[in-house]
Parts: sequence; structure tokens; C-alpha cells
Amino acid sequence: MDFYELTTEPIDVGENARRIVPQECGATVTLDGYVRRFTNGRETEYLLYDAYEPMAVKEMEKLVAKAKDKFEISNIGIVHRLGRLEIGETSVVISVAAPHRRAAFEACEWLIKELKSKVPIWKKEVYSDGEVWVEGSKQEKD
Amino acid sequence: MMKVTVLFFGATADEAGTVNTEFDLPADSSSEEAFDTIISTFPGLTANRDRGDLLYALNREYVSGGEEIKEGDELAVFTAVSGG
Repeated sequence: MDFYELTTEPIDVGENARRIVPQECGATVTLDGYVRRFTNGRETEYLLYDAYEPMAVKEMEKLVAKAKDKFEISNIGIVHRLGRLEIGETSVVISVAAPHRRAAFEACEWLIKELKSKVPIWKKEVYSDGEVWVEGSKQEKD
Repeated sequence: MMKVTVLFFGATADEAGTVNTEFDLPADSSSEEAFDTIISTFPGLTANRDRGDLLYALNREYVSGGEEIKEGDELAVFTAVSGG
């Protein structure tokens, strides 16, 4: 079973990985992306994530379909958290199950790269003395 | 004229001072004309546009140019995404 979801609740990384595993698989690769305290030497207090939710879910659905075309993998699960996140909390989890690990690693790396350039989600870094909406690098569309 | 919904997120919501507004556009507007009209209504966004920093969506899909806008469409203006 594939899934792609948004949530404002804390994410259970282990559960994310387990939900996708079918019988024919021998490996699941899971990326646990979490909130960094220091970015370019500046200390973050917390992050706020905003999303264009229906479009974000649609774009994640497209990425899942494309990844399954492109790599020898079985299932994919993606959850991205929104709202306020404290340092160290998980913001995104991507799990990829595959018969063999290599394809799972490659697909997971491809998925996070694509997610960061295409899925309409934005983070605001809040510092003790200010805040800024982080602007990603300009994407290539398809 | 026709009515459309325009959405802003993150930095563009701050610049526009709103997340969601209704807009009247001339019938038969193209996506280029529509977004031009919208941006010129929000002076805070023109600098972002002139730097090429804005992305545009129509009905929850990235625009590729030349789309025809219809009554009730949902348009969105935002900066390069930064999830993850």
C-alpha cells in the first residue's frame, strides 16, 4: 500500500516504515527528516510549515507514481508534518520498500529531492531575533 | 467579467496581506494576463515577480503558460517551495 499524507500530529517513523511492507520485499529505506537547530550558523528556535494542502497531496501522489515507474520498488509511504515543529521533531518521513535495497536507497533520495523542489510546502525559520520564510531553489517543472 | 479565487502562501501571503481573495478578471483571460493583473494589484509582490521568484498554479497544477482561465478557477501565487 502506498500513501502520501499531511498531518499536524507528531510522526511515528517506525510505523511509517511498517505500513508499506509487502511480502516480496527484503528492504525498506526510511528517511527521517527533522528540524535542525543550526542553519548556516544561525540558531533556530522552531519552524512553522505552511502548505497548499490539496495541491501538495496531488504533487506527492504524482511523485509516488513516477518513482514506482522509475525504480524497482514495491511501495512508498510519505508523511509531511505541518504547523509548528520544535528542534529535533520529524518534519518528513519517506519510506520505500523494495525487493533489494539499492533501488530503495535510490528511490528515497530521488523522492526527497523532488519533494523539496515540487511539493507546495514552505517552512518559516523562527529565530530569537527574527523570522524568515525559506525560499527553496527554483524548480524544474516535470 | 468572471470571478476567480486567488490564494497566497508563506512569503506571498505576507507580501499580499491575505491568504485568500476573490478577483474579477476579464472573460477569456490567459493565465499570463490573469497573473499579471493579480500581481499588479499587490505592489508587495512585484519585486518578487521581477526577480523571477514567483511560481503560479491553476486549479492545483503548476501553470505551463497559455492556459485559459475560467469562471470559478482557483489560482495560486507562491515562492519556490521549501518543504522537507
